[in-house]
This record gives sequence, structure tokens and C-alpha cells, in this order.
Amino acid sequence: MNSIPHKRSREAEAWLKREIREQKARYAKIVREQDALAPKRDKWIAEFLERIQTRGVHVHYDQMRKVRPEEIPTQPKRKFKVVF
Amino acid sequence: MARPHIEPFVDRDVGFKKMTLPGFPKGMQYKMLSLDPDDGACSMTVAFTPGYKQPPGMSYTEYELFIQSGYIVVGDKVWGPGSYFYVPAGVSIEALSSPRGATGLLFYNYGEPSFVESDADHSKAERNRFASVDSYENMQWTSTNFFPATAPGCLVKILRFDQRTQGFTFLYCMTPNFWQDNISYHDCSEEAYHIWGTSWMMQFGDLPTGGYFYRPPYINHGAFASKLGILAIGRTDTQLYNHFHFNPWTNVEENRERAANRILQWKPDLYKWINMRGHNHPVDFEYDHGHAHGDADHHHGDGQVDHKHKKKTRRKK
Repeated sequence: MNSIPHKRSREAEAWLKREIREQKARYAKIVREQDALAPKRDKWIAEFLERIQTRGVHVHYDQMRKVRPEEIPTQPKRKFKVVF
Repeated sequence: MARPHIEPFVDRDVGFKKMTLPGFPKGMQYKMLSLDPDDGACSMTVAFTPGYKQPPGMSYTEYELFIQSGYIVVGDKVWGPGSYFYVPAGVSIEALSSPRGATGLLFYNYGEPSFVESDADHSKAERNRFASVDSYENMQWTSTNFFPATAPGCLVKILRFDQRTQGFTFLYCMTPNFWQDNISYHDCSEEAYHIWGTSWMMQFGDLPTGGYFYRPPYINHGAFASKLGILAIGRTDTQLYNHFHFNPWTNVEENRERAANRILQWKPDLYKWINMRGHNHPVDFEYDHGHAHGDADHHHGDGQVDHKHKKKTRRKK
């Protein structure tokens, strides 16, 4: 049994409510910061797509394979996000 | 609703708060890392102030405690950095104190933090599942043993493994100049906290000491690198499988669909059985039958998982 049924106290309910509110604010800040990182991320992605064609992509442990140019994916038109 | 995607979050950027929940003694402070809004399950950085004293007691939910710095005394035994405890729901642990203070990580897995003073176990406690270990002194680093595996230079110490869900808690390290050039996602939720060191991920940038993430299933992460190496603690809620690929722009839906298709390719007979059976509520003969309607996700051939069953009323004879 992972949890024993019990009645949550009023203090615990209030604590939980406060923590949920703070977590929502924390999440919004993370999304803002990650959106601001987009230009750097685009550069990192371009470098990654270059590296996997020359040095290779990891398949398992130290096994790598070089990706052919025609295998390189293209960015879809939809909004790109990394936090879900 | 489960925990949201918190990534990255650095606990060094925020201050400690006093733990004010009923039952907890004075002198315990915390920083919230992530929280499930429904059941209150959460992960926290905690600090026991010098002189902290906690009587014998139990929690209504299982929890895990990892000591990062300083030391605590449980009963008459001293536990320093690297000490790990898994305490099942209702199991009473001996009096805990921290004469000179300590910091750690505290994970409540299925409910909000609770502490009830008691020197005896709850009647529903499963004491045989209790575990404690000094992971720095008494365990050695091993390779990950996953297939496909992370790149060489990522090593683990398994602190706890749940045989039924295959979720696990582990220390992991990356050696200096570690790099792994692929993108990964998993079918499980994953969380981690950097005890020391900085690593980099292509999506999120640098994660320094005190860095944390809680990542729901099917979210891309990687490529990976670490210049000087890291030491971290990680957890999953179910089996971790590395779905590797190299498309930076796939989303959660596409990743989940790919994972489901892979199950179809790998276990076609099982996939067909689960998909086609009218009442898809499989039973594991090694565990309780658990077939009281509503206790596990299932549908009746219509795909509607979110439904309720009326209680059957017994007729009086």
C-alpha cells in the first residue's frame, strides 16, 4: 500500500492551495525563460544536425551512425515549444 | 491531473520556507520542487536546522529521504551525506535529530507530506519494504544496463527498484567531458536533482548544482553534455526505456504515437489482445486481483476510460 487513506486537515488543504498557486507562477516563469532561450536553442539545433552528419548520432552506448543529408528533418511550421 | 512539466528549476534561486503542516516539529524548512495538484505528492529540498528533533512517527504516504550535507541521527545511528531511506506508508521510524543541521531531498510519492507521532507502525504498514543505505560508502557505480543505453560515461547506483512498476530511484553521474548526441524521451515521468555539477541539454540549456526537473512522459530531451561532470539523483515512476531519435521538433503526441507503434512492432500479439479485447482490464496473477470496478483504467470496448460504475445494491431477501 503506497498511501493510507486519511482525511486531509484544513491546514493541509490551505497549504496545498498555496503551493499550487506558487507552482503555477513558477511554471509561467520557466515558460518565459525558455521562450527567451529560443535564438540560442536554434543555434544548438543547427550545430547538432551538422554533427550527426559528420561525427554521427548515438544509437546505443558507444555505437554511432552517420545520418545522411536526406534524413535530416525539417522544422514544421507550427510553434516550437520545449516545455509542455 | 499529474505534476506539470517543471524544467529547468534551480533551487538556489529561492529561499527556504518553514514547514507549517500539522505534525511536523519546528526546525524543518523546505523548497518546493514539484507538486501534484490533486493528491499533494511532492518533491522538496529540505533543511533541518541545528538542534532539530523529531519524535518517532509515520507518514500516511510512502516517502524517500536523501541526505545531501550534514548528518542526521535516527535512533542511535548517524547518517551522513549519501544516506538514503525508503519509508513505506505507515512505517514508524525512530526519533530523528540533527544536532548540527543537515540538508536533503524529500520525496512524498502518493500524497501530501504528513507526520503523525507514533512509536508503532500503522496496521496497514508494510515494514518489510523499508530500505536504507549509505549510497556513497556502501555502493559502487555501475553502467546503466538499459538497452539502448546512454553513452559511455554515464554511471548509476540503483537505490530502489519497484518490481511491479519498474520505477526506480538512482544516483547517476556523468564523467568530465561526457557527451551524447541524440534526442531521448521515455514512457515514464522522470525527475532529477543536481547534487553537484552542471550539465547541458539542447532544449533547456545549462542545469547547474541545485538544478531540478520533473518531466512528464514523451517530452524530448537531449543532446547532452557536461564539461566537468555531475552527480545527481533521479527517479522514474515506471519503466524507463530510451526512445532515441534525432528530430528536434517532434511533439508529445508524435512521440507517444511512435512509442505505441513500437509496442505494436515489438509485441504484436500482446498489443492486439489489449487493443481488441472488450474489457481491457488485465490481471497480474502475482498480485491482488484488484477487479473492483473503477480501481484501474479500463473501458468496455468503447474506448471511454473516464466512466463510473454504479454500486450494485443487494436485494434484501
